Amino acid sequence: MSTSEDSPSMALIVRKDLGLSAGKMAVQCAHAAVSCTMASRKTNSRLMERWLNGGARKICLKVDDLQSLQQLAGQAQAAGLVTHIVKDAGHTEVEPGTITVLGIGPAPRRSIDALTSQLKPY
Amino acid sequence: MGLRSIIHKMTAPSHHGHSPSGPVKMILIVNNGLKMGKGKIAAQAGHASVQATLNAGQKSPLVLDAWLSSGQKKVCLKGDDADHLLALEKLAIEEGLLTSKVHDAGHTQIPSGSLTVLAIGPCQDELVEKITGTLKLL
Repeated sequence: MSTSEDSPSMALIVRKDLGLSAGKMAVQCAHAAVSCTMASRKTNSRLMERWLNGGARKICLKVDDLQSLQQLAGQAQAAGLVTHIVKDAGHTEVEPGTITVLGIGPAPRRSIDALTSQLKPY
Repeated sequence: MGLRSIIHKMTAPSHHGHSPSGPVKMILIVNNGLKMGKGKIAAQAGHASVQATLNAGQKSPLVLDAWLSSGQKKVCLKGDDADHLLALEKLAIEEGLLTSKVHDAGHTQIPSGSLTVLAIGPCQDELVEKITGTLKLL
């Protein structure tokens, strides 16, 4: 298993202003991870294979609010990275349609770091 | 029908070969004995669900399709410790359900190799209900 600087990574970026519980947050991040994986399987399967073989690295970060999340999503899309925005169905805790998590990647470590180096781990 | 497809039909696991007849979900059971932080749990749950998704893609693609197209419902529950997760895994396998385990690489927070999350499914609600019905939400 490779853990070199270059192995691809996935970032799961959570809105901290929603104050989600641990379980809710886990489920929302899992949504983002699955959706990003399925999307990249179509658009960049070689990168996805490298990511899986390198341990499917994931990092969970936080942003202050919806605006920061959307800004980051725009930057990631402009950089040509796979993104997925999770909208909650609102069965519990938050209103239906609330944007909770942004998934970016799998993408080269450098590209992820360039976008998220200012963010703190959740 | 050619000989190969007849053989395939006879030997393929029938349980996973049919479209599900009811709602489907994926269960993520977190090892609550490890005292992981929220972000750590979220990343581990992400690992488990991606593994379970890819596994289902190979072994029960029709169930996976049904799950993906119905909003990929997931439920996050808590297990007491690694032994509890392993016991639940055994029950799920006996029921013919798909399972995936995540062992942490141990870069942060917990000892390397710890069993962090068990995923069961995606599968029909009622099949997994008898195994995980008594567990508490995380």
